[in-house]
Amino acid sequence: MSLVALSELLGATVRDATGAVRGRVREIAVAPQDHPTRIAFLVVRTPDGERVLQPDALKAAAGSSVRAASEAASWPRYSPSDGVLLLKRDLLDQQIIDVHGRKVVRVNDVELECTPINSHLLLDVIAVDVGARGAIRRLSKGVVPSFTLRALLARIPPRAIPWQFVDLIETDPARRVKLKIAYEGLSKLHPADIADIVEDLPPAEREAVFETIDEEVAAETLEELDPDVQVSIVESLDKDRAADIVEEMDPDAAADLLGDLPEEQSGEILKEMQPEERREIAQLLEFGEHTAAGRMTTEFIAVDETAVVDDAIESLKRFDGSAEAVATIYLTGPNHKLVGVVPLVKIAISSPATQLSSLSDPYVACAPDTPESEVAALFDKYNLITLAVVDEHGRIAGIITADDVISMLRNG
Amino acid sequence: MLALAVVGPGFITANVDNDAGGIAVYSLAGAQFGYSLLWTMIPITIALVVVQEMAARMGAATGKGLSDLIREEFGFRVTFWLMLALVVTNFGNIVAEFAGVASSLELFGVSRHIVVPVAAFIVWALVVRGTYDSVEKIFLAASAFYVCYIVSGLLAHPDWKAAFVGTVSRPPATAIRNYSYVFMVISLVGTTVAPWMQFYLQASIVEKGITPRQYKASRWDVIVGCLFTDVVAWFIIVACAATLYAQGTTDIKDASDAAQALLPLAGKYAYLLFAAGLFNASLFAASILPISTSYAVCEGLGFESGLDKRFHEAPVFYWLYTLLIVSGAAVLLVPGIPLIHVMALSQAVNGVVLPFVLVFMLLLANDKELMGEFVNTRAFNVVAWVTVAVMVLLTLILAIRH
Repeated sequence: MSLVALSELLGATVRDATGAVRGRVREIAVAPQDHPTRIAFLVVRTPDGERVLQPDALKAAAGSSVRAASEAASWPRYSPSDGVLLLKRDLLDQQIIDVHGRKVVRVNDVELECTPINSHLLLDVIAVDVGARGAIRRLSKGVVPSFTLRALLARIPPRAIPWQFVDLIETDPARRVKLKIAYEGLSKLHPADIADIVEDLPPAEREAVFETIDEEVAAETLEELDPDVQVSIVESLDKDRAADIVEEMDPDAAADLLGDLPEEQSGEILKEMQPEERREIAQLLEFGEHTAAGRMTTEFIAVDETAVVDDAIESLKRFDGSAEAVATIYLTGPNHKLVGVVPLVKIAISSPATQLSSLSDPYVACAPDTPESEVAALFDKYNLITLAVVDEHGRIAGIITADDVISMLRNG
Repeated sequence: MLALAVVGPGFITANVDNDAGGIAVYSLAGAQFGYSLLWTMIPITIALVVVQEMAARMGAATGKGLSDLIREEFGFRVTFWLMLALVVTNFGNIVAEFAGVASSLELFGVSRHIVVPVAAFIVWALVVRGTYDSVEKIFLAASAFYVCYIVSGLLAHPDWKAAFVGTVSRPPATAIRNYSYVFMVISLVGTTVAPWMQFYLQASIVEKGITPRQYKASRWDVIVGCLFTDVVAWFIIVACAATLYAQGTTDIKDASDAAQALLPLAGKYAYLLFAAGLFNASLFAASILPISTSYAVCEGLGFESGLDKRFHEAPVFYWLYTLLIVSGAAVLLVPGIPLIHVMALSQAVNGVVLPFVLVFMLLLANDKELMGEFVNTRAFNVVAWVTVAVMVLLTLILAIRH
């Protein structure tokens, strides 16, 4: 087993079984549908056109020369295909997502592993080099003698990203499917980290990520992005996809976003959404963005004042809103009027049959048109985690959570 | 103020284009050669519009900076050498900006040993502390100073006929054998169509998030900016020709000589006006050049970059930025260094490096896969390739004559 760098192999002379030089390596291809890391073939530029050299005909690949076990005449002609990943064109010098390091990096070189098996070689991509080692190798290739170079490079600490932590960025959706690029690693990151990564990408690449990742993750990531970036991403997506993602967002964030979009586009997205979500967001859109109603979410837990702890727990299980919103359970009386609030912690420590009304705290609420600054003042004064927004009849219309207040204060 | 709200990256880039080096070169051109270099302004303007428009269009079509595109399409080695050339060239420009700051305040007798370190620190802090964005509008508003040259040019009673004839006529055939004339032509092109502008403009377009759909408006922003720059340049040359050249002051030794071009407008306040204008222009460009160079280099070579990162997260970025400022300022503390000539010389280097940058821009702007429907038209290619050829030719002539 030995390591060889992509930049060493590119341009290497290729000898066939007779020992004669037949050409030079131009490209190295991986076919992700057959094997995620295995080199499928080398593209060799020969005097009579480009030919494909399969690894089962490879005897040796080291430094600047490649030896094949078969004769050049038996190498098939090369015809380009979308379904293979070409390491030079698609990977070298391009930006990739380093899932482990949670950032966007540029590829300086690719490290391949050679494993001799029976009479031929297996070549696998094992890592991408993003450090000085790859950079200096490429800069001094052909200028510094190769043994001196190897000795020099061995002194440079490697900065390589193992292949399993690399997410490629492909902007063509059809090709993404063929190359099996699914951003699995990226999707597992925290949405705030995904948002940081996305902000470092050019627009087409951002779109590619949002077309591919899970809708729920996409929605949470979108919420973490700057309003300008949110708008440009949603504008670039097709309406179906945009609607699917917006549906998964917190209604208040979704309303802010749709409020920033041109009316025609937000209308089209609303049209594609489920009726229930559409109604909620349409209501929120009517209020000013910088008021309590503009900041509130309509996803919260309210139970009847006659209910017991067990009922509250049942509602918790059915609830699919954000985790911040469940910090408080709201109690409603006749005509859905707000009558009390029960902190989640009290429910956790009480027996299932306890009457909720006996656990209730005095509640604080505000009107839909309360300005943001007053909302923040209420949170401060009463040390709130959530705050109910009630309409003129005392009915609860939505709630504001502390995390909304923090971002409100930070964004001025 | 309304106009300030709508100015975009194109107009800002164009304004920074009239920096210390620009003022020095245009002043020298007018003082040394009178109206006989005015013919360069029309071809230079055409080249400037074409090249800047290309940079802006590439930014809008690809969403990527120029150094990113060069890296992705031409590989590491090419990018490395080009970035090295860019650092050297831009370093010259940074020295020129600090020279501009120094000479503007020397008019009031303030020693450069005080001015330059203070200016360097201000620039460094402005950008790193993130206050630059709020100061940009002040810089931009203060750029209205350039109008002074237009007024002064009008008041100096230049020989209008000679000026217009000089603008539209061919250069004298013997000029090509005149070393300092050829040198001045290279400097004029280099200062107006500077390599750093292409990297800066394209990056600003990307930063602003301008998409192909919004590009039409941006194109006008770029064109108007270029025209404004060159109208100002034309008037600086005319004002200097009508004053300095007319009275026989053909060599500008320091800022007080150059300030005389403003005498017809401002009389005894000419020095004050010139100093204020040069100070603003120099500090404006000094705030942009080091940071834009660091971004271009780090993005091209794949180093972590961005002011939102901490020092230890993006060490190369911050070190390069700091070193460019510190060493750029340090050069000026060498005793007896001639400020005006430092400013002018850096612009000649711009002119020599320009064709290399242009070739890469042309190759990229003609790449259908990259640019799609925004690929270069034939007219643009002709203008840009002619610019490349002329600049290479002039550089060769200069090398032979030397």
